[in-house]
Amino acid sequence: MASVTLHDITKRYQDAEVLHRVSLDVADREFMILVGPSGCGKSTLLRMVAGLEDISEGEIRIGGGIVNHLPPRDREIAMVFQDYALYPHMTVAENMSFGLRLRGLPKAEIDERVAEAAGILQIRDLLRRTPRQISGGQRQRVAIGRAIVRKPKAFLFDEPLSNLDAKLREEMRVEIARLHQRLGTTIIYVTHDQVEAMTLGSRIAVINAGRIQQVGAPAEVFSRPANLFVAGFIGSPTMNFIAGVLDRAAFKSESMSMAIPGVPGDGAPLRVVLGIRPESVCVDQAPSPLLSEPLPAAIEVVELLGYKRNLYLKAGDDRLLATVDASFAGRPGDAVAMRFRLSEIHLFDKETRNRIG
Amino acid sequence: MAEPRLPVGPALASLRRRQLVKAGLTHAALIAACLVCVYPLLRMIAVSLRPGDRLISTDLALIPAGATLASYARVFAETNFLLWLWNSLVITAVTSLIGVSLAATAGYAFSRFRFPGDRLGLTLLLGTQMIPAGMLLLPLFLMIMRLGLINTYLGMVIAYSVSSLPFSIWILKGYYDTIPRSLEEAALVDGTTRFGAFYRIVLPLSTPALSIAFLFNFTQAWNEYLVARVVLCDAQKYTWTLGLFELQGQFITQWGMFAAGSFLVTVPVLLIFLHSSKWLISGLTLGGVKG
Repeated sequence: MASVTLHDITKRYQDAEVLHRVSLDVADREFMILVGPSGCGKSTLLRMVAGLEDISEGEIRIGGGIVNHLPPRDREIAMVFQDYALYPHMTVAENMSFGLRLRGLPKAEIDERVAEAAGILQIRDLLRRTPRQISGGQRQRVAIGRAIVRKPKAFLFDEPLSNLDAKLREEMRVEIARLHQRLGTTIIYVTHDQVEAMTLGSRIAVINAGRIQQVGAPAEVFSRPANLFVAGFIGSPTMNFIAGVLDRAAFKSESMSMAIPGVPGDGAPLRVVLGIRPESVCVDQAPSPLLSEPLPAAIEVVELLGYKRNLYLKAGDDRLLATVDASFAGRPGDAVAMRFRLSEIHLFDKETRNRIG
Repeated sequence: MAEPRLPVGPALASLRRRQLVKAGLTHAALIAACLVCVYPLLRMIAVSLRPGDRLISTDLALIPAGATLASYARVFAETNFLLWLWNSLVITAVTSLIGVSLAATAGYAFSRFRFPGDRLGLTLLLGTQMIPAGMLLLPLFLMIMRLGLINTYLGMVIAYSVSSLPFSIWILKGYYDTIPRSLEEAALVDGTTRFGAFYRIVLPLSTPALSIAFLFNFTQAWNEYLVARVVLCDAQKYTWTLGLFELQGQFITQWGMFAAGSFLVTVPVLLIFLHSSKWLISGLTLGGVKG
């Protein structure tokens, strides 16, 4: 295993710059997630690590050595593709052993490694079949098996679960987490699915428009988003945003006004955006020093999710979502009092879009 | 409780009738087309089996009265038929191999790489296919003459290869376009070179297109007459098309031998088609990628 270091990576296609001086350190045995919306440059970054895309500027190191000019075969990495990319004219066993055969390993060792990987992934019965004779989930296992047998320095996953249905995706997600614990490998994993990002990664790098927005542990990125983009992208349902002014430690918008402790109150009034996650909005709860003053709101829509309820609230001109216990009995049209958990309020500078405090 | 009857009976019957009529008409048209294609072949067989005194009879029987293999025996005994076949075979095999090899690599370049003039190149290749073969005859003859390749196998191979190449490149380029690039990328990461990915992954998956290109090259070269007439003048180098034409005299034409020879030369092409038919079924790439 090895660390992977990206230093000031830039990617240009003719005049269009799609990655802007991206730097990232992936430690040995770390599970790093690159997450971001479609077209943000995360797959391009991964393909540059693999050697499938040229690097316009910057430096990539795998295990300490610069690999900028090495072809993919000399980088000692393995990659799992979004569309599996299994060789259709080879059996599962041949697919898995392809890289080992190219390296001229003894047949006995190849057979041993393939059998071991097939055992881990529970695909022993499929070894003689061709890719077209197995299901989507099984194909993804084979693609992972093809990567495992190589024993590379780092694994690269390019949205590996995005073609699977929801149930299978969940199963494979657990499988991949288990695999990482078992093999203790360095993994760089690209996804646009924030659930995968939150559940799998040791750390997450949130990317938007070719720039890294924030790198940190999933809990840190969730609880202290560095800017408005991260706050809106991470978390489901998404965070509520209310535009207003921060003046003398109080937030004021057209529809609400509340004191926010712990915020410097001596500067000039600042245009800000207040962010509050739906699960941090309490409805009809008793006063508490941990909660804000009550704000009047009306329920517009109620959604039952089974164990939770989503309430779509209207407070003045602002619309908010609150996720409450399923036992909540309010109905559309009811007037309620909502309170925010004070410690879970996020403030962002409206100009710079960065976090305040 | 009995289910209520839906009033779909007459509509369904009418639909079935329309489908039957459509299928009947389609089959009738296909059978007619087949007859038009097969009739000359059947006539050729019939003529080749006729006794020498009934060659220009109007009898339509496939196996004529007094059928004999005498014409076949005479083709072998009285002409250089085996030599003509050998010449044709050498020229055709080399032409097909060279043509398919060049088209396989050129098609790959056009499919996978972007380089200055790639689109123009493809358009020009297509343009060459729109010029009638007869118009190219004189320039081709002059080029081959200046290369000193008149009356040589090499001259024939070059002339045939270049004329089949554009079509083969287009066929293969189109097929490569359907093969996901991720397969080659997976091979690159697994440890192949760029050529290795082409050789080990793309080529095996392109068997149907390679077969079509090979068959096209083979039949073009095997059946060609005009270029051979211009390039070859030594009877020892004649292909079967020139050889059989020799049987057509000013005063008398050996129709029996002509038909027998013609039938014999269609056999190799027929066998190759039958053998290759399994490769002509595409869809080999199904299952390798998502789906």
